[in-house]
Amino acid sequence: MIVDDSRIIRKLARRIIEGLGFEVDEAGDGAEALTFCAISMPEVVLLDWSMPVMDGLTFLRQLRALPNGAAPKVLFCTIETRAERIAEALSAGADDYVMKPFDGEILSSKFAEVGAV
Amino acid sequence: MSPDDFDRLQSLMASRAGVRLTRDRMKLAEHRLAPVARAHGFENVGVMLAALWAKPVASLGWAVIEALLMPETWFRRDRASFDTFADELLPTLSQARGGAPVKIWSAGCSTGQEAWSLAMPALERNIAVQIVGTDLSRRALEKAAAGAYTGFEIQRGLKAETMLRWFEQRDDLWVANDELKGAVRFARSNLLDAPSDDHRFDVIFCRHVLNDAEPSRRAEILDNLERRLVDDGCLFLGPDENPDGHSVAFRPVAGRKGLFVKAPSAIRAAA
Repeated sequence: MIVDDSRIIRKLARRIIEGLGFEVDEAGDGAEALTFCAISMPEVVLLDWSMPVMDGLTFLRQLRALPNGAAPKVLFCTIETRAERIAEALSAGADDYVMKPFDGEILSSKFAEVGAV
Repeated sequence: MSPDDFDRLQSLMASRAGVRLTRDRMKLAEHRLAPVARAHGFENVGVMLAALWAKPVASLGWAVIEALLMPETWFRRDRASFDTFADELLPTLSQARGGAPVKIWSAGCSTGQEAWSLAMPALERNIAVQIVGTDLSRRALEKAAAGAYTGFEIQRGLKAETMLRWFEQRDDLWVANDELKGAVRFARSNLLDAPSDDHRFDVIFCRHVLNDAEPSRRAEILDNLERRLVDDGCLFLGPDENPDGHSVAFRPVAGRKGLFVKAPSAIRAAA
């Protein structure tokens, strides 16, 4: 599942992730994403940080508190590049972190590193 | 650049660097050489090459060669090789050497990501290693030794957790920390040059070099690698590379793409 308020990023990431053999759901913010997760838990979540309604970090903490919420691999994908922010995301339960801008090779290598492919 | 210039560049690359410059790289070559021409005060690439052909000045020749090397690399490129190295080979070799440092050569290391990718798991496992990264390109080696990478480069193959453990953020760059820097030494070396001393390595990584090498120079490169490798040592090539037809000194390891062990008996038999 791609959780990002930018339609352009969702479109770009969808193309890459579908190329890795996944079916893709999209959500525009954390609250919408939680609704998706309650219905069907994704294998991997590509998660933006700053979004309206519910940001990525809040979503991640609520996701991890759900039954089966520990299962998805969560990769933050954001313009936040400070080391402290990356550490904060990892300690909140993210499996990895993608700094924008990214390309297909970075994303596919991140999927491989977290064992999603 | 004229076709004749490109022919001469192909010969230069093959003879001095052992690198095959394919014709589809003609435009790229011209693009890469433009800054070299400017830096050396020439009007354009054609004028620079004409001067080089008329009077082969070594410094200009090497500047041209270095500009035409393809420095493509990233952290843990072909990750299966690094997993094999870290999880299987490194602990076994360390034990076999009685805890003495395992000697590793990253041959054709370009901007250093491979050498750091070898050092990190060794340090994490508290296994003593001596890692040397070599390349022909001074510019690539400067970057390797600085250990400084952009956000785009650092995350190509490296998990965020590993990145935070081994690299410090300085403005827009991620720089290898002192502990990591202490594990690797970088030096300039041409894979075509025969070893001038008897220093040998337990493991050699020389990946994505052979496929770009001039076919007539591959045997020479493999011979030099073999002479640098201890008798029970291992050679990692790229997953789609193999020494077949150019060397009998290595045997492939089943189920491990790109991994070869030295075969002293085959070398003796061929002698």
